[in-house]
Amino acid sequence: MSTVSRAADRIESVPFLTRDDASLLLVLPGLFVFSAFMLFPVLYLLGISFTNAEPANLFAGEGVVAVLTFGDALFVGLENYADVLTDGQFWNSFGVTWLFVATSVTLKIGASLAIALIVTSELVRGKRVLRSLIIFPMGLPPIFTITVWRGIFSSAEFGLMNQLLTAFGASSVAWLSGRWTAFVAYNVTEAWLAYPFMVIITVSALQDVPEELHEAAVVDGAGFLARFAHITLPSIKRPVLFASILTSAASFQQFLIPFVFNKGGPARANELIVVYGYREALSFQQYGRGAAISIIALVFIGAFMWLNVKKGKLADGVND
Amino acid sequence: MLLGAIARKLGNDIKTFATMPARTVRKWSYTVQAVRRGELPASEVLKVILSTIGATLVVLALLFPIYWILMAALSGSGSSLYTSESFSLFPTNPTVKPFIWVIGDLIVPSYSISAAIPFTDLAFVFQTPGIEILDASDYGVDRPSEFKHFLWNSLMVAIPTVLIAMSLIIPAAYALSRREFLFRRKILFLYVLMTQVGGGLGVALLIGMYALYVQFGINDSKLALAVYYAATAVPFNTWLLKTYMDGIPVSYEEAAVVDGAPPWRVVTEVIIPMSTAGLATVFIFVFLTGWTEFVVAQTLLGTENYTLPVGLYAMVDEYSIPWARFSAFALTFASPIMLAYLFAQRYIEGGLSFSGMEG
Repeated sequence: MSTVSRAADRIESVPFLTRDDASLLLVLPGLFVFSAFMLFPVLYLLGISFTNAEPANLFAGEGVVAVLTFGDALFVGLENYADVLTDGQFWNSFGVTWLFVATSVTLKIGASLAIALIVTSELVRGKRVLRSLIIFPMGLPPIFTITVWRGIFSSAEFGLMNQLLTAFGASSVAWLSGRWTAFVAYNVTEAWLAYPFMVIITVSALQDVPEELHEAAVVDGAGFLARFAHITLPSIKRPVLFASILTSAASFQQFLIPFVFNKGGPARANELIVVYGYREALSFQQYGRGAAISIIALVFIGAFMWLNVKKGKLADGVND
Repeated sequence: MLLGAIARKLGNDIKTFATMPARTVRKWSYTVQAVRRGELPASEVLKVILSTIGATLVVLALLFPIYWILMAALSGSGSSLYTSESFSLFPTNPTVKPFIWVIGDLIVPSYSISAAIPFTDLAFVFQTPGIEILDASDYGVDRPSEFKHFLWNSLMVAIPTVLIAMSLIIPAAYALSRREFLFRRKILFLYVLMTQVGGGLGVALLIGMYALYVQFGINDSKLALAVYYAATAVPFNTWLLKTYMDGIPVSYEEAAVVDGAPPWRVVTEVIIPMSTAGLATVFIFVFLTGWTEFVVAQTLLGTENYTLPVGLYAMVDEYSIPWARFSAFALTFASPIMLAYLFAQRYIEGGLSFSGMEG
């Protein structure tokens, strides 16, 4: 203990620090390790994006010096960015990513709202049991869920989806080998992954809607749809909007679904942006280009964070 | 103390669950009587019954994929992942053979221990008995899966992850909860920001990470991977534990200080014992970080060091794998996690409301 208080005394002797600031020492190790594995890779990634790095030159040489000079890779300025931004492949990936955000978020909000309305309906009994069942998939590891869904969309005759189709008299579909069928498969899986979170938030928002408003509207003769549009929706708008920002960010950064399903295929058509950067570097050895793509993706992830701070009143909790 | 609390809670759960049919029957009989007396219109009751059935069907449809994978594992069909037989709601002849294939032999081989007595020619040789819990070949399973190998790798990653992360998280959470110091608000803000958005951050940074790891020659090291996991677990779990510690009344510490306890004893005898549940929750979350992460592990580790998630993914890529075996492997991997999660969930229900910001 004495060493700690001695350190505290020493800190106190620094003019603008108080004795309590010694507590910063308890936080610093965690902060340092976290930054070392988050901040440093960002800087390194940024560095690589300005070089012509590929395994042959990047991993040449050994030790700290080679790390700092990016091996034998050469500085090429903004060439990678210019290259990427004039490449049709990039714009395809960029477009597919935003399309995926749009479709999957719409699907997620629609489905979760419907589910939430069902499990809060006053006509339904046993709501607590239903609700705890419904959020069960939250406890499953994503890699498990996604490999299972890949089996469901198995391109061969007897995946679960194709069995359902044949049961209803339709012919089976090679889900993961067609561009848009694979895209549909991504959307369904993403919706299934995200619905427990969305339902939890929507249900708690729905429970906060004042009962009196609904009763008054019923007295005035408003039907279910009118009450939904004029009472329910306005009251749950804010929390649902907040959840939508979070889930949009999740869709934008989706990696596992395309990667596990068909590596963003067929023929790289469905590579969402994070998958695109990853594959460019680690499958096609273009580290410089891959890094440039990842940096572009990071800018958008940063924008989501900023939006989250603005809309989610993130700072509220810190001011306690 | 914690185990007692868990046991009590489980006991309550079981009691509520066991008495549920009786209570339901009682409620329904009230309703039936009310309808007979004409106090409640029958159409109203019918509406409730139909809606409840409808809602139950929706919920069952949502959970159907999990049921399907369970049935696939139990049906034990020999066909492969891509040519499975048509699905039936109940397996025709259920078998646990796929699970035995996953687990493989559970045999502790017999070791001989020899101890020589110095300066003599005498030597003792002990033969420890071999313990045979499960012999896969008894059940007609010849080449069991590599599950145990992956499990060992996963443990070798997850245990250091927990040790490193906990030693970083506990002091930080305490300081953030109890002290006021320079940059406190800024650090909290950074941690919360990282908690909320950032699932894909790790993947986006992976190129930089991978290049660094290769250059330092630690890309195939389980320990280096554990340090990375511990680092990524810091923001969320520090925040969670801080929120939990905020709930412990300061008066307990003040009482200890009045009694003359030095600061470190306040921490070890008041704070730590009182935040056992919070610590358990954080423990589970950190453990699961290392246990379930796939992308980074798949990129960094070589075949020899594959962890369970990577092993699972490698299976789905293998076209000849029988469906039942894949399902059994996936379920054996996931079911302990489900249980741990359900346990941890009880403790965070309150703490993680709406935005996770309250507290």
